[in-house]
Formats: sequence, structure tokens, C-alpha cells
Amino acid sequence: MADADEDAVRGTTVEATQIEVDLSDETQDFRLLNHLNFLTDTSSSSLPRRGEKDFEPNPTEFQADVLSASRQAMHNALAHPRLHNPKTQVIAIYAPEGPPPAPAVTPGQPSRGASVSPDACVYVPSPKGQYFKSMGQADRKGVIWLLPEEALYLLERGSLDIRWPTSITGGTTVGEGSEEEELSIPMSLQAAYTCLIGRGGLTLERFTVFSSLKRIGYAISRAPGWDDSTEVDDSVDEHSRDSYTQPLKRGAGLAGILGSIFNWINDPKSTSSMAAGPVIGYGIHRNYADIYKKLALIPWYDPTLAPTRNTLNTSAPFRVIFYVYKPSTPIKKSALPPPDFRIAVINTREQTTAPTLPELSALLESTPLDPPRGEKMERQMYMRLRHGYRNVILAVVDQGVTSFLRVADVAFGKERLFEGSSAPTGPKKGGNFRKKKR
Amino acid sequence: MESTPTLPIPISYVSGRYLLFSIDAVTYLRREHNICGVLIGTLPQIPQQNVFLGLPLELMPEEARVLVDKDVACIVDEARAHDGMRSLLEEDRRQYLRDLESQGQLATRMLSDRKDQQREQSLKEIDEKKAKGLAAKAAKAAADAQAAASSTSAPTEKEEPNSVFAGEDESSSLSRTTGTSTPAHHQAMGVTPTTSYPPLPHPVSPSAQYLPKPEVPLSYPLFAHLHSRGYFLSPGLRFGCQYVAYPGDPLRFHSHFVVVSAEWDQEMNLMDIVNGGRLGTGVKKGFLLGGPQKRRDEVESEADRIETVRTFSIEWAGM
Repeated sequence: MADADEDAVRGTTVEATQIEVDLSDETQDFRLLNHLNFLTDTSSSSLPRRGEKDFEPNPTEFQADVLSASRQAMHNALAHPRLHNPKTQVIAIYAPEGPPPAPAVTPGQPSRGASVSPDACVYVPSPKGQYFKSMGQADRKGVIWLLPEEALYLLERGSLDIRWPTSITGGTTVGEGSEEEELSIPMSLQAAYTCLIGRGGLTLERFTVFSSLKRIGYAISRAPGWDDSTEVDDSVDEHSRDSYTQPLKRGAGLAGILGSIFNWINDPKSTSSMAAGPVIGYGIHRNYADIYKKLALIPWYDPTLAPTRNTLNTSAPFRVIFYVYKPSTPIKKSALPPPDFRIAVINTREQTTAPTLPELSALLESTPLDPPRGEKMERQMYMRLRHGYRNVILAVVDQGVTSFLRVADVAFGKERLFEGSSAPTGPKKGGNFRKKKR
Repeated sequence: MESTPTLPIPISYVSGRYLLFSIDAVTYLRREHNICGVLIGTLPQIPQQNVFLGLPLELMPEEARVLVDKDVACIVDEARAHDGMRSLLEEDRRQYLRDLESQGQLATRMLSDRKDQQREQSLKEIDEKKAKGLAAKAAKAAADAQAAASSTSAPTEKEEPNSVFAGEDESSSLSRTTGTSTPAHHQAMGVTPTTSYPPLPHPVSPSAQYLPKPEVPLSYPLFAHLHSRGYFLSPGLRFGCQYVAYPGDPLRFHSHFVVVSAEWDQEMNLMDIVNGGRLGTGVKKGFLLGGPQKRRDEVESEADRIETVRTFSIEWAGM
């Protein structure tokens, strides 16, 4: 019935779905949540497996009951309140005007924590708990200021109680500060979204990317390219602006010509006369490597020679806006290490086409060189190719559904298949590798 | 759950996006109007995962537009509505805080009740286990190792260490909490409400001003057409299309179509059709291509385009 290659396709898709079922791909059956007892047991050990779905609606009572049970479970799960135990409650206050301007730094005196971002708009007078290890910036008084995305994320997960400032809601300021706190109105989730999304460049797409990574344990900080409008000083960066339009090719330019002349002088065996004679020239050829080397006529792109570009010299949305750190990376807020991942966020309703080559290469050039290293990479060529020499992650947000794509700058020309033993010998090796990976 | 919220339902317009915060509105729209949206928030009860997400619900502009066209919903500018926080009456403010306080107290009571119940239950279990163990031992001693007795006592003994530990844990935490948290029984839990209505007056009123209908992409007529035929649609880029169409609630049913919209006289690359057909067949769905027969400049309103939509389904036939 079906032809052979179609069978093959079917087979692999079935296999693939069995191996890597991305749970978040599918609408989940919230009935499964009923098995978890939330209010008492907060350390839910593992998520339930998803239930079976039907092919299409039929008029049976049974199906209607199952569906209504699913919906009821979803309703219950979503209606779960955000409660704060008085003992662990962390109260923050919304400051629509942002942090007070930092006073002029007196010379000779190290200004402690003077680096509060002007975009921060929620402060925590008495911070406690684990969350402030990777979030927030302390000002000179020890008050922690949160960026809008940090504050909204904490409120959403039920870990922060943000209050309206009395300057907005009014209220009797009855002398003492504590009294005032009692009378302030808690911000609702809706109010927090209203006030914090749209502040200081925080779009809903950026926030969904931030919170989805945060939820599974990554630490995230804003990259210099956060603000779409900031651009680098043209005079400083003139050189790299011109050079990106043409990817560098091995052998191009004056240096390349000089180099080949020197090579020609230094290589006694070479008698190359490409225009007239055989491609590899006359002469005595004693090993294959030399011959293959001479046969490598096609210029190729070497990512290690690409110019480094200022991160600000890229155009939104193809610019890095988040630095992301693995949970295992030790984080010190005052001196952030180089990030594990760099992320650009793209909204599919505003950017409807795939990035052009100049956009993509500009984005890649703005990331530092990250050549494949490590024992595994040494051994396996496919790993090296996949890792590339520069890489960046595109978070593509389609109306709340986020896909992460990793883009890497690959150097096929650097992998000399005729040299060394690392070259794959056939399909067998590839098959072995795949098995190891899974 | 079967309740109907007051219509029209206010859709929050926040920084260019359409969001829903009210759980009743979310359930109602899903049940009565086949609108699912995408949940984008963190569930406070299990915040460390991305599989089950919570409020708010993000709506595509198409979804918001369909609802507004049906007079089921209206678009509310939340930033302006929240300016109302500046003009709250002192009395309303106090009333609202009192309400929150009583909600918090209720939550505290429910939590402590449940804790008590659990404690009682685990204590009871321990007692039962002990009694059982004693009985078994007695029986053992008396009847000199009868096969039946030993076979029943073996599994209970196996389970015992586990439950005893759980019980001890419970009781030790209980003794700890009873020492310190007696005041907590009276102290209310803090509550972060989900919506801002109250304290703000309900945004839907005869005098209220709503935002204009959402701007929609060219694919809207196809969206509205499929929606009017009872399909549930969700954003589909991740699956290589514009929308994924489900025959019923995605909670219970697999999708049937990957949907791509095109204008009637739009030139199409044959390769795109082949790609779509292969993609759809590969994931056991149909590739649905469709669009209105009239251009935007040929009609007065988008609604006229919806009536002219035609759809085609392309499938890879194994011959």
C-alpha cells in the first residue's frame, strides 16, 4: 500500500514521539492534577502522565462526563488562590516612579549597591527567602529593587505580596510605617500585569520567555541589548559595520594572496598551474593528504575569522536580550559570570519572516567565539559540527506558545575528512552515536 | 461551574495583548464559545514546571475579535481602568481589605482543618497498625506459626516502617507547630487576588468606553469560518502551520488539521503544498488550506469575507 520510504518516515515519527514526548506540546488534562494534594504537600514529587485522548466527539454521555470532569479539574486548578503564610510572607511595594536617583558618588568612597537599574519599579523593604540570591539589586540602604519581570514572576508563583503605594491608593498614613503597611492594598495578578508589562521594554513575549525559563530553574539577567533603541556609537564601530556584509573567505584579500605566495615558495612539491595543467599540478605526489589538500579549491567560511561585533550593533528583534545561566552555574549578582546561553526573543506577529542572512550573521557575530571543546567534542565530529563556533538561542513566541531554536555557526571547512581517524567510516558509526545520545 | 458570567466579558488589553484573568470567564468561553487561548502564567501550587500553566490566559487577536463580533466580550484598556485605584473611596478600600482579611482567615482555617484531619488519620493508621501487629504476634505465639497468619503479617510489617516514619514526621511537625503557631491560627493568610474587580468597579457598564475591535491578520476569515463550524483553534507555528484545528475541546481530543490560510488570488509555491501535505500526513492530520474569495478592498467589512471562505484538505495518498 504505502511505499517504502513513507513507511520509514512513519516508523521514525512513531519512534521519535515515543522517545521524546514534550509534555508542554499538548494541552494537558488537568484531571491529573487532582491526584496531587497541593495545599498540604507543596513538594509534589513528579508530574502525572498524560491521559488518553479521543479521536473526535461523539454524542455519548460517557464522553460528555469525562470532558466535563476534565474541565472541572482545570477550573479547580486555575482557581487555586495565592496565599502567603504570615510567617514567610515577603511584602514588596510598587514604585511607579522607579528607584530614587542615586546620589552623586563621593570620590574615594566605594558606593555600595549604587547600581539599581532605572527600570526597577518594585522594592522589598525587608527581603528574606531564597529568591533574592539571583534576583533584585540592593540599593545603598539595603532595600532590594526588583525589575518588573522579576517582581511579576515572584507574584505569579505566589512568593511575593506586592502592595499598591499609598501615594496612589491614598489612605490614612497613621504615623508609624508598620501601620501604613497594614493598610496598603495588595496588588492583584491583573493589576501586576497591567502595571509591569510594558514597563522599561518588557513585552509579554519577553516575560513569557523569562518566566518559562525561571520556572525550570535557570537564572536570567538582562543583556545589554535589552533596550531596542540603544545603539552603539557609529564612529567606534565603523569597521565591523562594513565588514559583516561579506563573510570572510579563506584565501580572500591581500593577506590571503600573500599567504598563498609564501605557501607556494615554501612548498617544493607544488608546481601548480591551475589554469592550464591538471588541478593538482604536476609533480610527485606521495600521499593522499597532499592531494586532497590541493583539491580543496572551494572557498569556505571560517567562523573563527568573522569579526566580533558589539552586541548593541544588531537590530531588534535579532539581538541578544537575555543572559541565561544553568542552575549549576554559581551566580553572584554583583559580578555575573559569562552566560551559558544567550537568548533573543521574537514575536511571530511582529516578525513574520525568517531572519535574513545579514540579520542572523550580525546576531551571531555579537556573541563571543565559543569553539567546540572537551573530550567528547574531540572525538566526535558530528558533535563539533552541531556545537559550532558561535551560538545563540532564538525564543520564538507565537501567541503564548514558545519554541526555542539554537542557531550555531558551523565550520564544515574546518573538518578535514581526509585527515585523521575521527572521520566517520560509514553509517554504522553514525548509528552508534545516535544510540549513545538517547 | 455552569454559571454564566455577566456579558459582555471584559477582555484585558495589556500593552498590546489580549488577556483574561477571571477563571469564570475562561471556563465559560471554553465551554460555550470554543475559545481556549493559551495559558501563560505560573500555577502557584506547582510553580516549578512548564507542563501545567495557569492564569492569565492569552487570546489571539483573532479570538478576541470573534468574541467581540459576537457581542460576547468587549476590550477594556486595563491601564486606564487601573487609574481608578487613585480614586478609591476610603470606605470601599476598608471594605475590600476586610474582605481580603476574611478570605485569608478562611484559608487559614481550611488549611489547619486539613492538617488536623491528616494528623488524625495518620494517628489512626498507626494505632491500627500497632493493634494489627500485636494481634498478629499474639496469634503467632498462640497458634505457633500458622501459615495464614504469617502470610498476612508479612506485608503489614513491610509497610510499617514507612507509615511509622510518616506518622512521626507528622506528629513531630505537629508538636513543633502547636508550640509556635497557635497565634497563626488567628492570624490570617495574606491573599494575592487574581483580578482587580473589586476593588475597582466592574469595567462593563452602559457608560463605559471600550477599545475598538482588535486588528486581525489576513488569515482571520479562515479562523472565523472554522470557529463557526465548531472547531477549537490554537496557534500553530510550533507545528508548522498557522492554526491547529481540534474537532472538540483540546483537553480531550487530538487535532485533525494543520491550517494554513492564503488569499484567493495569491500565488503559491507548489513546494509549500507538498510540504504541508507531507507534514500533515506525517503527524496523522489533514493539511487544510483555505481562504476568502474576496480581497479586503473588495468588501465593506471583514465579516463579508468570512462568508466567502473555501477550504481544501490535502492528504498524501499512498498509491
